[in-house]
Amino acid sequence: MTSLLVFKERLKEFYVKFGAYINPVIRFCFSLLTFFLMNHSVGFSSQLTRTYVPFALAAICAFLPYGAIAFIAGVCLLIHLWGVSLEITMVTAVFFLVVGLLYYGFQPGDGYLLLLTPVLFLLKIPYAVPLLAGLSGSVLSVIPVSCGVVIYYIIIYVKQNAGVLTNELSPDIMQRFIQVVNGLFATKEIVMMMAAFAAALLIVILIKNLSIDYSWIIAIVAGTIVELAVIFVGDITADITVPVLELIIGIMVSLVVAAVYTFFVFAVDYSRTEYVQFEDDDYYYYVKAVPKLTVSRPDVKVQKINTRKLQKPQR
Amino acid sequence: MLSEEKIKIMTNLAIFEKKEGKNISPAYRYFRSDYISSKMFRSFFSYTLSFLLILALCALYYIDRWLNAMELDSLLNTGLTIGGVYAAGLVVYLIISYRVYSKKYEYASRGTKVYLSKLKRLDKRYETGSRPAGRIKGGRSQ
Repeated sequence: MTSLLVFKERLKEFYVKFGAYINPVIRFCFSLLTFFLMNHSVGFSSQLTRTYVPFALAAICAFLPYGAIAFIAGVCLLIHLWGVSLEITMVTAVFFLVVGLLYYGFQPGDGYLLLLTPVLFLLKIPYAVPLLAGLSGSVLSVIPVSCGVVIYYIIIYVKQNAGVLTNELSPDIMQRFIQVVNGLFATKEIVMMMAAFAAALLIVILIKNLSIDYSWIIAIVAGTIVELAVIFVGDITADITVPVLELIIGIMVSLVVAAVYTFFVFAVDYSRTEYVQFEDDDYYYYVKAVPKLTVSRPDVKVQKINTRKLQKPQR
Repeated sequence: MLSEEKIKIMTNLAIFEKKEGKNISPAYRYFRSDYISSKMFRSFFSYTLSFLLILALCALYYIDRWLNAMELDSLLNTGLTIGGVYAAGLVVYLIISYRVYSKKYEYASRGTKVYLSKLKRLDKRYETGSRPAGRIKGGRSQ
């Protein structure tokens, strides 16, 4: 544990020193991952799937805020979808516009969740999303997380039905549009995942704010159990099949990711908790103070002791 | 000569401006009523545009059904339902907007107070620095 804490201190120091360079690098890597995953899943636009395009876009995104990165990724997704079907592009564009107008009009500053949710879905660790969003955000994070779930299932729907959607021989535009909407609404997993994520996120927020020891760890475990419970209920009642092995691995990795996040953000030592009680004119105060877990970075200095004495010049 | 204390206060101010500048700007730019009403006006257009977009998609989806049942009563009923949904949604959205922007303005007001107190501290330092040497020592200059 001590070595981990030392490692954390070293990382913090490194970040303080090179923060100006680290932030763009993180944004570059995240954007590159996003564009590669997008090209891999729905790479229907030949212009965007050229090797240098994700690198060029990621290089631009490295200097932009996450909201702008989400916007650029959204535009790229629409261009990809345009290569498959006009109808699905239209539905997705309206979805983006409505979310942008109604929710992002308030400038909540959580655009990264809209991007992170589909990315973690494509990396097969979606169960980490409500845990991380619950630990770091507020109840309102339910909205971008749910929208991220919808975006992922649009991507999956297009990936699975690309052949049908691109078929020029299919009936007129109206029929194709109805077919697309019916297809999207028939995806029961969307509702199940949105319910699982919303329930888990609310439970995580509720428990992490409780004044109990190890609240963050309990919140992560409880959130995971709630996610599993909702998925099992969906599995049984709505007849949705979830690949068990993928689910177990995804849950395990998500737990690890959430634990790592907790270690870096909320490392406290409950064994040294102090309970203080005092009063002023208006209130009685019952204060619980939990000290942060910190170690001082070992400052290793190598001192060379030269045993060979300098000989004085003889006169 | 460099004054370390002034530099500290100015750095603190600059960091505060960088972090909170965008969030506290409404409080010193607008009156509360002007700010909230302008934002609610924007919310009204955002909601209306979103509603029209969704309505257009719904129209595309149900157009066959509507065209097949071209009766005045059913069209009237549909129109009334759409109007009702629009009005109810608009009221809910405007209430949410009002609460969100009220909170934002309160936050901005509190931030402005903090900013002004920091500025006053800096101003005091400048006053102290520009005083004649006799006064700094505490005695009256007369």
